[in-house]
Amino acid sequence: MDEAVSIRLSVSDFIALTNQTLEYAYPSIEVEGEVASFKVNQGKFVFFDLKDATGSVGCFMTLWQLRTPIEDGMKIVVTASPKLTAWGKFSLTVRTLRPSGEGSLKKSFELLRAKLEKEGLFAEERKRPLPTLPQHVAVISSTQAAGYADFIKIVNDRWGGVQIDVAHVQVQGADAPDQMIRALRYFNSQENLPNVIVIVRGGGSADDLGAFNDELLVREIATSRVPTLVGVGHEVDVSLADMAADVRAATPSNAAQLLVPDRQEYIRVVQRQVRALLPRIEATMERYRQDTVMRLETMFEKLSRRLGEQREKVVMLRRVLLELDPNKVLARGYALTRGEIVAGNVIEIEKKDILIKAEVRNVSKK
Amino acid sequence: MSAKNSVSIAEKTAQLDALVAWFDSDEFELEKALDMFTKAEKLAAEIEQDLATMKNNIEVVKVRFSENK
Repeated sequence: MDEAVSIRLSVSDFIALTNQTLEYAYPSIEVEGEVASFKVNQGKFVFFDLKDATGSVGCFMTLWQLRTPIEDGMKIVVTASPKLTAWGKFSLTVRTLRPSGEGSLKKSFELLRAKLEKEGLFAEERKRPLPTLPQHVAVISSTQAAGYADFIKIVNDRWGGVQIDVAHVQVQGADAPDQMIRALRYFNSQENLPNVIVIVRGGGSADDLGAFNDELLVREIATSRVPTLVGVGHEVDVSLADMAADVRAATPSNAAQLLVPDRQEYIRVVQRQVRALLPRIEATMERYRQDTVMRLETMFEKLSRRLGEQREKVVMLRRVLLELDPNKVLARGYALTRGEIVAGNVIEIEKKDILIKAEVRNVSKK
Repeated sequence: MSAKNSVSIAEKTAQLDALVAWFDSDEFELEKALDMFTKAEKLAAEIEQDLATMKNNIEVVKVRFSENK
């Protein structure tokens, strides 16, 4: 009679063997379920149950690994390793988790938004303007993504002469936030800092864009030394990364438009600026001309007035002279005598119409 | 054209702005205006020429961000 081969182990060895077997069989698994009994102990350790209609499994993780806020009732997917604890309790040691389904994604987004908003991460007064003419730009994106290609094409169409350093990273999936964080730290630690850091990614599902709602990434963007411009998804998509950025672009194409001016428009503005100078010169010349004409007119008026005054003076003097004319006195019947009035002398007497030679017979006082 | 040209575009734009501002300032003199206008016209032509020819320099940095260092 065969007897089943049994292994006798100590409890500790049994637990170790079980964990070895589990680790071999399930090095990493994803489990989807609903969160229940969520709690944080000592401000460091996170415990919750993951359940569905018929089952429930305990989960453990550290608080720093929890980068997406969760609460009871939310549906999530955990990436974890199964483990038997020293007390014989089976649980999942969670490395990462993400909300699953539209409702949970939205709930998680709202929870984190409220938390970060309270800390002032999205405050308008924190926002810095982008440089008008950037000369050195850092771009964080996947170089294979359509959004990146759109961005680069439009930047090249619009402007030139810019040094563009690109960090090729994943822009979706569990590793994406950490890769983008490393790229942000890389550019922020350069001796020759870029003028602006741009993060772009094209459209996708809410799950695809979930990386841009990662708490650590959002905090990294908010504390970047270099001003940030984030353009993720389509116009309707709003991520927390967008909200933490100094400038939010609706799409990668829009990010390119906000980053650099359009060269054709720039040329038009420059030409307009120069053209506007000529009328200013002409206006000044016209002002000078009018001023000169006005001065001449004033001079002419003054001269005319003086001439008039002199003319009146001459007329008046003429009138006086006319009054003194001796012919006028003769005309009134008076006579003019010439010669010495001495008895015996012949004198000349002039009347209005005649001249008389007369001898003086006698001279006496009146 | 290299990225250095962008510096000169920024500088030329600043120079042009200064020239335009001179026309509105108290320093404006009709005798100098034509000379200043000629300078502004020349700068504008240079900016236009630079903008028509310059290209961006794109470099993918040789760092693997998938690895935690």
